[in-house]
This record gives sequence, C-alpha cells and structure tokens, in this order.
Amino acid sequence: MIPENPDDLHILAGEYVLGVLDETDARQVAGALATNIELRRAVTFWEEQLHPLSELASPAEPPPGTWEAIEARITKPIPRPAASRLWGNVALWRWSTAGFAAAAAASLALWIVMTPASGPSFLAVLHPPQQDQAGWVATAGRSGLVVRAVSAATPPTDRAFELWAIAPGSTRPRSLGVIPPNGELKLSTLPPDLRDGATLAISIEPIGGSPTHQPTGPVVFVGSVKAV
Amino acid sequence: MDSQIAALSSVGVLIEAVGRDSQVALKRLYELEARRLYGIALRIVRRPEIAADVLQEAFVQIWQNAATFSAERGTGAAWLTGIVRFRALDAVRKLGREILTDDPGLGDAAIEPDVIEKIDAAAEAGALKRCLKLLEEEQRRCIVLAFVDGLSHSEVAERVRAPLGSVKSWIRRGLLSLRRCLQR
Repeated sequence: MIPENPDDLHILAGEYVLGVLDETDARQVAGALATNIELRRAVTFWEEQLHPLSELASPAEPPPGTWEAIEARITKPIPRPAASRLWGNVALWRWSTAGFAAAAAASLALWIVMTPASGPSFLAVLHPPQQDQAGWVATAGRSGLVVRAVSAATPPTDRAFELWAIAPGSTRPRSLGVIPPNGELKLSTLPPDLRDGATLAISIEPIGGSPTHQPTGPVVFVGSVKAV
Repeated sequence: MDSQIAALSSVGVLIEAVGRDSQVALKRLYELEARRLYGIALRIVRRPEIAADVLQEAFVQIWQNAATFSAERGTGAAWLTGIVRFRALDAVRKLGREILTDDPGLGDAAIEPDVIEKIDAAAEAGALKRCLKLLEEEQRRCIVLAFVDGLSHSEVAERVRAPLGSVKSWIRRGLLSLRRCLQR
C-alpha cells in the first residue's frame, strides 16, 4: 500500500531510491509510479537530492568492448522475413522483467498469427516515464492498431486513459482515442502519425477524453514506435 | 547535425537528442558518462564483468527511454545515475549478494564515518552535505551505505552490526529529517 500521508510517502520514496526495500515492496512502488503523481515527485526529489552521494564511488574504466556490445544491441537488425525479424526484436526487451517478457511474447505470438505479413508493421512498448516496467504493448500494421495492457492498469476513479500519437519531429500529440476499461484499444485503420520514430503516450484524462483535444492530465506511459 | 551533436557536452541536451534516435548522441553520452556510471555499478555489484553487463543494460534502457526524459523532471546526470543504480540493484537481487564476493580488492574500500567530507563541495552538494551533518551518526551512516553500496535493510544491519529493526528506523528517521532540512 502506498501511504497518503506526505511524510510516510516521502520515507517510502526515499527507501525506494536508496534501494533498501525488498523486491515485493520495490515492485509495488515501481508499479504505483505510473499513476501516483505525488509518489513520482517524491522519487524524483530523492534522486536529485541524493545524487551527490554517487560521487563516493570512484569512476573506473569499463572493460573494452562494452560500447561495441551496446551499439550492436541498439542497431537495427538486417531485414529478414517478417516473423523472424519480429522475434529478433524481442531481444531488445531482454532488459525487462521476466514476467513482462513472457506476457509480451504471448501477445506478440498472438499478433503474428493475426497480422498479415504484408505492409509495414510497427511495435511500441509503453512504460511509465523513467521506468522499465512495461505497461502496454502497441502493435500496428496495415490492418490497424491494437493497444493492450500487459499488466493490470486502471486509471484513477472518474478518469480514463487516453492514447496519443506524436509524429516524428512533431511536438503536437494527436488523440487516438480513450482506452476502454477492458484495457484494449483497437483501431481498424493505421493512424497517419504512427510510423517509425513516432511516440505513443497515455495520459490520464476525464471520462470521455480530453476536452481540449490535447493532453490535460499527466502522461503515465510512453514508448517509441519502431518498425519491425 | 550529427557533428553538432557530437560536440555537445550537456548531458541533458544529449539525452534529448538520444530521445530523437541519435546514435551519435548516445555514443557521446557514453564517452562522457561511462566511467562515472561504471564506477557506480562496480561499487554496488563488485564484480567487473557484472558491472559491465549492468552498464550495457543501462545504456540500452537509456536508448529506449530517452524520449521520456524531460529536463524539467530533473538533471540528466541524476536520471542516468538512477537508471544505472536500479539496474545494479536488480543484478544484485537476481544473482544474490553471496556470489558477489566482498573481496576488499574489488571496488572501493568500505565507507568511513567521515565519508561526507569526501563529497565534492560543489554547490549542488552543499545542501545535502549540510543536512547530512545534522543527522545522528548512525542515521547518516546507514543512509550513505545503502545508497553508495546498494545495500538492503538487512545487509546494512549486518554491515553496521545492529539489529534490523534499529536500522530500519534509523533510515526512516534519517530520511524524514533529511527531507525537512533539504526543503528549507
């Protein structure tokens, strides 16, 4: 349970940033960060304030080859047939939690079965800002867009999750619609903003969606769209 | 464009460029920050090969998450440190502290009580230093040990040879005092 009392909330956030919490508690805090603004602020406060302590660890030269290994992992694989390319991309996610990887693999497998191999295909994994725990997987192609919750995510009472696309190079989000309470949004056509390098984001909005057609609430999940 | 990015040295600006998928910016970020971040990881996981894995995972995560970094949320350096520390803590949880040898030849020497004097007197560290000094000795020691060595409650208790309950309450009371002092 995440406390509401500001002192208790700050203590929990501080323990989280220090790293003293056990795995269960740490995961609970990580999961709550997406929707709890106060908690997120408190975590940022401690990350900033305690940062000078990290100087107590002496800098050291990483082993040779470390950059090359990173470079190999961020460079796009050479195009191969659709299905194997997609599985190759799963490697990109290995840093994520095992539970997520299994869930993502399951939803991907389903997607491979359902999606025709022709036309461009896109994939985005959405997670809370500054977090690696995936909350949503978006898959898109000629047949449209499907966004699914990976782990149970519910908006605060009397609020809804709204999905936004930001075209590469643009700063103006375009609404793709409010996500139904079952945690799955389907569009039968591919939105024009949705292409390689675009950003997908989910914000918390009034039921029915933002009245201004721009996000009004906090962005709680975000991810980049990659061609697969 | 890429050569301009390569010439940049502001960590925050580089992270934003990485967020726009610039591999050149990521490389520049690595050149600027890898030694510092590797040192942080090594201090927590103790073994060079595991610290290198942590650094690799962290940079892949930086590549993937940079678009979510916004300068108003905090400084770039603290954001990077947060990612590396969480990856290092994950590695420790996954591998178990027991296989991560405590050989004093690896990483830095243990933290001494006068440790806060070693924090750089840079302006940003000033408030933290002043506020840490106001804490009781055991509160300060536990907080610094936990942050720098990435120790859990029970590991801190073992290191300072104190009951687990006392350590938990020192850390909580220390964080509370620290926050009150830092907010002033």
